[in-house]
Amino acid sequence: MLSRLWYYVRETFVSLWRNLSLTVAAILTVAISLSLVGASLLIREGADRATAQFQEGVEFIVFMRADASADQDGAIRDVLDNSPAILGYSYVDKAAAYAEFQELFSDKPELVESVTAEVMPPSYRIVPANPDAGNVAEMARQFGEQPGVKEVATATDAIRQIEDFSNRVSQALLVAAVVLVGVSALLILNTVFTAIGARRQEIEVMKLVGATNWFIRIPFMLEGTIHGLIGAALAVPALFVVDDRVLAYFQESDAVPLFRGFAVPEGFVWDTSIWLLVIGGVVGMIGSAVAVTRYMDV
Amino acid sequence: MIRLEGVSKVFKGDVVALKNASAEIQRGEFVFLVGPSGSGKSTFIRLLNREEVADEGRITVAGKDVGEMSSWRVPYLRRQIGYIFQDYKLLPKKTVYENVAFGLEVIGRPRQVIRTQVPAILELVGLSRKADRLPDELSGGEQQRVSIARAFVNRPLILLADEPTGNLDPATSVGIMRLLDRINRSGTTVVMATHDRSIVDTMRRRVIELDRGVIRRDESQGVYE
Repeated sequence: MLSRLWYYVRETFVSLWRNLSLTVAAILTVAISLSLVGASLLIREGADRATAQFQEGVEFIVFMRADASADQDGAIRDVLDNSPAILGYSYVDKAAAYAEFQELFSDKPELVESVTAEVMPPSYRIVPANPDAGNVAEMARQFGEQPGVKEVATATDAIRQIEDFSNRVSQALLVAAVVLVGVSALLILNTVFTAIGARRQEIEVMKLVGATNWFIRIPFMLEGTIHGLIGAALAVPALFVVDDRVLAYFQESDAVPLFRGFAVPEGFVWDTSIWLLVIGGVVGMIGSAVAVTRYMDV
Repeated sequence: MIRLEGVSKVFKGDVVALKNASAEIQRGEFVFLVGPSGSGKSTFIRLLNREEVADEGRITVAGKDVGEMSSWRVPYLRRQIGYIFQDYKLLPKKTVYENVAFGLEVIGRPRQVIRTQVPAILELVGLSRKADRLPDELSGGEQQRVSIARAFVNRPLILLADEPTGNLDPATSVGIMRLLDRINRSGTTVVMATHDRSIVDTMRRRVIELDRGVIRRDESQGVYE
């Protein structure tokens, strides 16, 4: 049993090495396509999180200035409590805003340390009686004119921007990724096919002396699976770069305030990495399985 | 050991390779298959090994119906059948020792068995001192001995040989035949397709003559013609 295992490992690596240029091409294609898959997943998750505060019917958020006076705050609250146009609201005070900020950026302690609860804008998350876009826009305009209000973010505006952005980007990436995953599978298939061709004589002898079909196939299937796994392993660091550079870029952008929530926790990046490894391994296994069944009539 | 009952095989383009052939070969027999090129000798041999499947008739090898056998069992049939060729089919990048060991390794024999069996068989074929050579450093006769060693190292019940002396000069051929005779005397059934008249006439063993796929003659101590 042990000697058989050793045989598989040895044959697989000999073959990988013999086929080096194709092997490298296959591995890099897998790495690039899985990086795109991962980036697409991260952006989607980031967008979901960035729009999380607009859940449960909240259509717009009134951000107060951090230095708004109690009178200014009271005036806003008065309107919210009494207006029939307002169905409900929740108040997020400085401490709560800070806590949320800490949670969103838990993986970026330097960012959390750079602010204090004192500078966080308190906000009202408002559920209007009539969630119609025109009505929400009009209410947002009125609140925006009140003293002490820093800005008003409406769900329609902000969510549309974020969703639009994330949909376009992640879908474009996903389409490219799906095509490239297909290309990787074909490339792995070809690499394994070449490996089979290079060992045609050996395979012929193996069949003649009575090696079982699986004994002949396993090293080739391992070879394809290893292409997929190494490619996926290379995509994992790329995923962290996307998290670190691309998502962080949006968080620092001033253009759209909601992009500041565009972050995913490190755990999600790790989970995605595991998925990439699974996808890589499966793609490699399928590519090589097709190669051995189509080109090796054993 | 081997039985053919009314076996026919036709290839594409209506090429008749074997037509209603019946024969029975007992354990320990030595059988020559003779006949002109294209008479069906190779097909006869390839059917026994399930490299080809008969269109009609029944083939039994070592008690198993070869035609009805499911494909996953074929490797286990082949482990009981050694096979040698005119062109040896040695792996050029492996040494003599490695070529023979390969035959055991790929059917999952433990390393301990390989370490004892391979030197023993190389001793039998007289190549112990050339174990570390590559095939292209050997003469044709030596290469055929390596191929016989690989075919016989697993002690098969049957040895099939398709023109094993076809590429060898007469003196070398005699050496190969002595080796096959020795293997036969140890109880192994040998079926050998050949064109070599002098070998057949000298050995005086059973001869099955094929002509355009039909068994013309089956004599127990026959000659080439």
